[in-house]
Amino acid sequence: MTKQLLFIDSDEDHAGALKTYIERKLYDVTCVSTFDAAKDFLDKTSPDIILVDPFISDEMVSCLETVKKANPFIQIIVLVQKDKLDAAMDIFGSNVIHYIEMPINSKMLDFALNAAKKNISMNRKIDRYSERLSELHGTQDLLNQLFEKVPCYISVQDRNFRITAANRKFRQHFGNQVGGHCYEIYKHRTSKCHDCPVAETFRDGESHSTEEIVTSKFGKQYNVLTRTAPIRNEKGEITQVMEMSTNITQIRQLQDHLVSLGLMLGSMSHGVKGMLTALDGGVYQLETGLAKKDDERVLKASGQIKTMADKIKHMVLEILYYAKSRELQYEKMTVTTLADNVISTVKSKAEKHAVKFDVTIPKDLGEIDVDPKWMEASLVNFLENAVDACMSDRDKTDHRITFQVSKNSKNQICFTITDNGIGMDTETKNKMFTLFFTSKGSQGTGLGLFIAHRVVKYHGGTVDVESELGKGSQFYICIPFQKPKTNKNVEFPMEDH
Amino acid sequence: MKKKILVIDDDLNIRDYLVSLFNDNGYEAYIAGDVKEGIKEAQKIKPDLITLDIEMPGEWGPRFYRQLSQDPELKNIPVIVISGLSGHQYAVVKAVASLTKPFDRAELLKIVKETLN
Repeated sequence: MTKQLLFIDSDEDHAGALKTYIERKLYDVTCVSTFDAAKDFLDKTSPDIILVDPFISDEMVSCLETVKKANPFIQIIVLVQKDKLDAAMDIFGSNVIHYIEMPINSKMLDFALNAAKKNISMNRKIDRYSERLSELHGTQDLLNQLFEKVPCYISVQDRNFRITAANRKFRQHFGNQVGGHCYEIYKHRTSKCHDCPVAETFRDGESHSTEEIVTSKFGKQYNVLTRTAPIRNEKGEITQVMEMSTNITQIRQLQDHLVSLGLMLGSMSHGVKGMLTALDGGVYQLETGLAKKDDERVLKASGQIKTMADKIKHMVLEILYYAKSRELQYEKMTVTTLADNVISTVKSKAEKHAVKFDVTIPKDLGEIDVDPKWMEASLVNFLENAVDACMSDRDKTDHRITFQVSKNSKNQICFTITDNGIGMDTETKNKMFTLFFTSKGSQGTGLGLFIAHRVVKYHGGTVDVESELGKGSQFYICIPFQKPKTNKNVEFPMEDH
Repeated sequence: MKKKILVIDDDLNIRDYLVSLFNDNGYEAYIAGDVKEGIKEAQKIKPDLITLDIEMPGEWGPRFYRQLSQDPELKNIPVIVISGLSGHQYAVVKAVASLTKPFDRAELLKIVKETLN
């Protein structure tokens, strides 16, 4: 690009000759011979280089200082008589790129012009760099803000699934866990998850997504939709993977609520069909028994019909209880009766599967306020689960469940259920009260423990669990003797927030 | 001589029902609660017809059917599937009929009668 040069010299002939010389070097040269002409020009234009004799006028020096101050990139080359060189240097110092003695040596002039040119291009580069740098800072700030404020959990992970960065929401719910393993933080596991989307992205560089249930540092479970994206270095190699998880717990709950009845009816349909057939059978036996005057058949039939009616009632109530908002129906009953009722329901199932059933119920535990139907159903569910845990265990030959009832220091009644079945890993333990979570495959609906837990909770009680994989589990279910002051309207399956 | 029907179902109430129904209608009913017992019983009594539930704890109906087909003495015994699972009855392709619980009593008796004649 042609550089613009202003040549200020009182000697017009000298200036004219020099102009021709400089123009040959491809500069666009303007010559002025007076201070006023120079000032005029500088007011309108900002040349790249000023070639000047500063002593042509008293005002020239201050004018040059002002110009340099306004545009520090202007390169000034000073032309002076030998005797004024020192004075010029004292005035301008390093603000001037070069001092040339008059009469001008052309080599010296070339040298000065080249130095000025280099300086100009250097300054332009610096200017561009600083512009880009400030742009970059701006972008970085923006990205940082996005990363921090985006309303989902973002973590960046290395190949060992260690978290190298996490955004604010992640830190709020899962702690400042940089350096920790993703699977430990999200799921309290000791090893990588099966089908890890981060591992998949490291493998193929594509984005992957999964739906997971994670546990926050406060022990709360969230359903999250997780997506991954690769982070590459300059060579295009994947060095880290970003994982973004959106909390879809509420959406899931709504969805669950909508589909749950259908799902439950589907999963229960086999049982219902069996019950209806048996009920049909009972009716048939009753009819034929009456026709044949066979009292034994009639008696058996009525027993069968009663059993089936009870079973169907139980199932229908479970559906209604799950589907509808319902206030607990408190009654006073002795703890012994409650425990006895529960045991009589579960005992035959345990015995059928050769699981020993030890019961310890001290006498005189007094009376308790409960909704008998649902508290019994809840305790039965915990116990049946213990039987299932024993049945699923193939390592031990002897299986045993103990059921103990006691009072605790908080004046609560505690049911302790211990089994030596398959036990649970931390992940299963964390999720076991989550709606539709089941460790029993197609055998489970994921409803049983969810409802059982809710029932205890709405009685103002608590459920604590200890478990070890392969060894067994212990459930402590404690409920207060008196009903809580606020009788909550129990709504299923919405989580309370 | 009365025709023999073997009822295989894990539900005691349903077994009782079918036994009464068949006995009342001039057949001789036998029972088995699972696949293993079913094979043993079939070998012993050589029934003229078998009613089979598909889903039972431990082993399920189609396996019984395979075992039955491999036994030259038993393989020609007609089988009626009576199951709570709709669709799964096709697992026993050679069944003379498939009924879904709760089944229609008259329909079952009609199929039994037609099969045994």
